[in-house]
Amino acid sequence: MPGGVPCEVRCRHRDPQRDRSCATAPVRIQRRHSIVSLLEVKNLEVRFAMRRQELIALRDVSFKVEKGERLGIVGESGAGKSVAAFSILNLISKPGYISSGEIFFGGKDLTKLTAREMSQIRGNQISMVFQDPMMTLNPVLTIGTQMTEALHAHQDISREEAKQRAIETLARVHIPSPATRFDQYPHELSGGMRQRVVIAIALITKPPLIIADEPTTALDVTIQAEIMELMMELCESSGVGLILITHDLGVISQMTERAIVMYAGRIVEEGDTRDIINHAYHPYTHGLMDALPQKTKPGRRLNQIKGVMPALSSIPDGCAFNPRCPLVIDLCRTTLPQFTVFGSTRVACHRAAARTD
Amino acid sequence: MSAAPLITINGLYKEFPIHKGILDQLTIAGGRVVKKHESVKALSGVELTVWKGESLCVVGESGCGKSTLARVIMSLIKPTRGEIRYEQERIDTKGVGELLPYRKKMQMIFQNPYASLNPRMTVRQTLQEPMTLHNPELNVAEVNERVVEVTRSVGIDPSWSDRYPHEFSGGQRQRISIARALAVDPEFIVADEPISALDVSIQAQVLNLMMDAREQRALTYLFITHDLAVVEHFGSRVAVMYLGTLCELAPTKKLFSSPQHPYTQALLSAIPRLNQSSSDYIRLRGEVPTPVNLPDGCVFHGRCIHASDRCRRENPALKTYADTAVACHAIEEGRI
Repeated sequence: MPGGVPCEVRCRHRDPQRDRSCATAPVRIQRRHSIVSLLEVKNLEVRFAMRRQELIALRDVSFKVEKGERLGIVGESGAGKSVAAFSILNLISKPGYISSGEIFFGGKDLTKLTAREMSQIRGNQISMVFQDPMMTLNPVLTIGTQMTEALHAHQDISREEAKQRAIETLARVHIPSPATRFDQYPHELSGGMRQRVVIAIALITKPPLIIADEPTTALDVTIQAEIMELMMELCESSGVGLILITHDLGVISQMTERAIVMYAGRIVEEGDTRDIINHAYHPYTHGLMDALPQKTKPGRRLNQIKGVMPALSSIPDGCAFNPRCPLVIDLCRTTLPQFTVFGSTRVACHRAAARTD
Repeated sequence: MSAAPLITINGLYKEFPIHKGILDQLTIAGGRVVKKHESVKALSGVELTVWKGESLCVVGESGCGKSTLARVIMSLIKPTRGEIRYEQERIDTKGVGELLPYRKKMQMIFQNPYASLNPRMTVRQTLQEPMTLHNPELNVAEVNERVVEVTRSVGIDPSWSDRYPHEFSGGQRQRISIARALAVDPEFIVADEPISALDVSIQAQVLNLMMDAREQRALTYLFITHDLAVVEHFGSRVAVMYLGTLCELAPTKKLFSSPQHPYTQALLSAIPRLNQSSSDYIRLRGEVPTPVNLPDGCVFHGRCIHASDRCRRENPALKTYADTAVACHAIEEGRI
C-alpha cells in the first residue's frame, strides 16, 4: 500500500485526473500514519507440502487494512485469495503452513501465537463469513445456540444476557421477529435469511475486523443486493473493517474502497477500487475488466484473455502472467516485476508504464 | 416473426410429488388419519415458442423452474400436463425409441463440467459415443475424423483426445462438453448455466466459443442462466421466469432498456454493476413463496408494490404488447 510512499513518487504520473487525486494524497497519508493499521500482512508466504514437491500458494503478499476500511480481494479460483484470508486466522490446515512473513493485528504477530491464543482472536476479534450459509450453519442446533456459542466462548456473560444480545444482533441484520427466529433451526429459514444469521454470528462479539469469503456467491441477485447493502450499512455504522473476497468485479466495485488483484499466488495490483476499475494498469486486471460482457457490444465476440492461469506446480519464470499477456516483452519472461506506484495504485508489471501513455 | 417455430410449448405444467408412496402420504391430523398429497409445482402453465435461429435466454432466480423447463423440453423428464412440439411433431408423448431421431437434433450442455463428463471415459470415447449411436453407418476412420474435426472446432488439441477429463481444466472440460453436444450436428442446443461454474476470464472464452458455433452451424439456443450481463450479450430474446411462470418475454434490447414487469425491473436493478452505488436498487419485500403452496392469483403479488385485489384473485395471462409479452394485470389496466 502506498502508505509509506512519499508524495513525489506518487505525483510523477502525468494524467491530470490522477494529479487531482494526488492533491488529496498528503491528507490521506497523514491519516494513515497517525493510526496503527488494524491489520498488516507483511511478506506472507504459504506453502503446501505435497508428496513430491512443495507448492507455494502465496508469495510475498503484503497489505494493510485500516480501521473501518473495506478491502476487496479479487482473483480467479486458485489465485490464492482464500488462502490469504484463511492464513490471517491461521486456518490453513496440513499439508499447508505459513512458511514466512508476519501478520500484525492489535500489536501482535498472529503467526507466532499458540493455538489457544489464536482461538481467543478467532470469532472474537476477527470473524469470518463463509460462502455457503447451508454449510456454515449447523443443521442440528438452533440459531440461538449457534449465536450465543461465540459469546459464551469469549465473554463472561449470563445466558439471559447472551440471548438478549443475540436477539438484538438478529434485529440489526434486519431479521423479522428475531425472538421467534432465535429458537428456530437453519432449515426453517431461506438462503438469504441464513446468510443474515451468519453475518449476525460474525457481528455478535463486535469484532473490529470481518473477513467475508464470497459472502454473496451462493445467493440470487436480488438477495445478493440486500446482503451487500446490509454489510455496507453495518460496516459504516459500526466502523468494522472488512476484507471481502470475491471473483465478482461488480460486487467489488460496489462494496469496497480499496481492492487487491491476485494472480497465481501474488498480488499483481492494488489501489483504490475506483482506480482499479477505471484505470487498471496490470494487463491481467485490464483483461478481466475487458472480458466482462458489458464491455462489448451485444452479439460481438468478447475480449477474452487467452489461456488459463498456470497450476501452482508450473508457474513460469519472471512474471507469472507472461504467457497470457498481450504486452509481453523478453524482460517479463526472465525477471519478476517489482511494484511501481501510480497515483493510488501499485502494480507489479514491467509494462505498466506503457499503459499510462 | 418471419422464422418458423422450432419448439412450441403449450400450457406446460410439471409437478414433482413430495409424498411418493401411499404410506408417505398418510399423516395424522386432529386424531384422524388423513391422506395428504402435496407436490412441488415447478412449472405452472408455461407458453413459449422458440424460433429457428434465435438465442432465447431464460433467466430467473434459483427455484423458478428454469432448469426444469430445459429438462422437460429435452424430454429428460415428462411434463405433468401440456404439450411440446418440435417443428410440428409432438415429442412429449413419444417413447424412448421414437425420440432417438430428435435426440440427434437437440443436444444439451450442462452446468458443471466436472460432473457432466464421465471420468472413466477418454475424450475420444466421450465424443465417439453419441456419433456412433446416432450415425451407425459411419466406419471407425470416419468417426475418428469427425472427432478430430469437432475437438479442433472447440479449441482442444486433437492429440489430447486420449486423455481423461481430470487432466483438463474447468474451461477445457466445458469445451469438451460443448464438443460432445456438437458431435452429432444438432440444430438446437439447450445450455443450462453453461458458464456459471467457470472463472471470469474463462467465461468469456466459452461464451465466444458458443457464439462462434452459433454462426458456423446456424444453431438455435435455449440458454438458461441467472447472469443477466451474459443475457444482455448473448441472447436475442429473453424470457423471465418467476415461480414456474413466465412473467415477461421480450427482445433483449427492449427488455434491458425498458423492462415492463415489476419483477423484471427489480431483477435488473439488483445486478451489481461497475461504477454504480448499490443503494439504488428496487427492494422487493418478503421472499419467494414456496412452490408447494403457490399463492392464488399472480404468483408475484405478495412482493409487488403494484398489487391490487385482482392480482390476488386472478392469475394474469401472458399478453403481447408490440413485441413484448407480459403477464401483469397492472400493465394490462395501464396502472404502470
